[in-house]
Amino acid sequence: MTVMEEAATRLEREHVHSVYEKIAPYFNDSRYKAWPKVRQFLLEHEPGSIIADVGCGNGKYLHINGSVFKLGCDVCRPLVDSAWSQGHEVQLCDSLRLPYRDSCFDGVLSIAVIHHLSTKERRIRAIKEMARTLRVGGRIMIYVWAMEQTRRKFQKQDIFVPWNPNPPSPTLGREQPTPRRRGAVQSMSECLYSDKNRKVKSTSSMLEKEEMTCSPHQSHRLWFFSRSLDSVFDFGSLTISRSTSRELISTVSSRLGEAEGGKVGRRGRGAGLIEQLSSLFSGFSRNNSEEDVFDSVTDLARSQRDHVNDNHSNSTEKTSVSTALVQECGSVALPDLVSSYQKERTEGPGRPGEKDAGPPGDLKQDSEGEPAAASCLRYYHVFREGELVELIESHVEELHVLYSYFDHANWCVVAEKVQVWNI
Amino acid sequence: MKLLTHNMLTSHVKGVTKGYPLLIKATEVKVSEVEFNPNFVSRMIPKLEWSALVQAADGLGHLQDLPAELVTDYEKNEEFLRKVHRVLLEVEVLEGCLQCPESGREFPISRGVPNMLLNEDEA
Repeated sequence: MTVMEEAATRLEREHVHSVYEKIAPYFNDSRYKAWPKVRQFLLEHEPGSIIADVGCGNGKYLHINGSVFKLGCDVCRPLVDSAWSQGHEVQLCDSLRLPYRDSCFDGVLSIAVIHHLSTKERRIRAIKEMARTLRVGGRIMIYVWAMEQTRRKFQKQDIFVPWNPNPPSPTLGREQPTPRRRGAVQSMSECLYSDKNRKVKSTSSMLEKEEMTCSPHQSHRLWFFSRSLDSVFDFGSLTISRSTSRELISTVSSRLGEAEGGKVGRRGRGAGLIEQLSSLFSGFSRNNSEEDVFDSVTDLARSQRDHVNDNHSNSTEKTSVSTALVQECGSVALPDLVSSYQKERTEGPGRPGEKDAGPPGDLKQDSEGEPAAASCLRYYHVFREGELVELIESHVEELHVLYSYFDHANWCVVAEKVQVWNI
Repeated sequence: MKLLTHNMLTSHVKGVTKGYPLLIKATEVKVSEVEFNPNFVSRMIPKLEWSALVQAADGLGHLQDLPAELVTDYEKNEEFLRKVHRVLLEVEVLEGCLQCPESGREFPISRGVPNMLLNEDEA
């Protein structure tokens, strides 16, 4: 494996796979309302079609359209087990190596998946793998998080997002299809779905534009910005100045919203990431300035550590503190850091300024026994407008883009598999 | 894992060219009742690798009288479609493994879910 591949694999293992494994029990196991356009895509397939949901998570799309055969796959075992317990055909696999024969699917879904791949090359490979399994004439629908949100843009494309449980709320207007439970065999993840856990929801299928806040102090979503692995490994730019190190870590705002005992704002584990990256690069024959960057970062990390409080003395988990700094990101709600209260509203454009919060007390209850947000930083490469289309048009000749659009904080593409003649 | 799913699955170990179909070694099989939809089954048949289906069903001891060759005009043949329906959708492997016919590598099936994840050296 090349060094870059190894770095990418490690990054994704640490900040995608292991995070989803930790937070899987907190995904609500009943179905979220599928996004209308995804639902429509599924319903448009003729009876007897075979559709694969690559990166199916807990199977939230697998119940739609009973006249087609759907199967799902994901790399996260607890989520896959959860989907199976709902009666779906699912497999464990990696999106870069799909275990399906060529041209066997009429349709493929890739909803909020490839933005977790940390290099452009891997994102292309994932798309090509899915295209391989599509029959000629079959269609793929891809959703990825957009850099451009309704009210502002993410400042960088490569980000780490802390995971936050949502405050509990009644669930209104959600689709509740009858799950085909497997009576005889109970999956382990089913046992985890106690009532307590059901209160907590997090899903990347919800797109919300409203700000999720729990108090005025918590009015800011927090992201860690990073350079993309592609740019770090760009040998054309070996000289890295101090200002670049500040790109890597931005100034932390002390308003990290620990108000009212809420979970929001727990420290991220930036130090771990940086140390990890640093260790990957230390074998490199690079300019000294590069190593200085990482040294300065870890020094900064250590000095920061002393200044941070931790409110949760009862937590047995090592609450490592935020070292990497967090850029205050204003009021954009991330697509999956959604207050359950948002569900009460109709889907539509966000209404700025509305603050919805669970009673602070609920957060306290939820705070018991959850994985620390510190260890749940998810990596995302958010896409610029046109980037996904360009990726397909330039690098995946076997797919022809039919249409693309913006849907609730995602860039979306529907493409058709075409026959490629190699002369 | 239903046999319809199995019909799509292949070994994707690096270097393997004949990774399909995977051999099923089942330690626990379940048969359940699934609603019969003749239209669904009829449309599914052209998408199948028929011989792989027959081989898989046979290996599980559930071939019964499913023919080795596809019958002609099956669309209206309800009896035939019911046999296909049973094998495709009602027979499930809950525990066991799937073996790559070329490399011998075994992919475990547990709690009904095949684990097709590859090790770093296989990918």
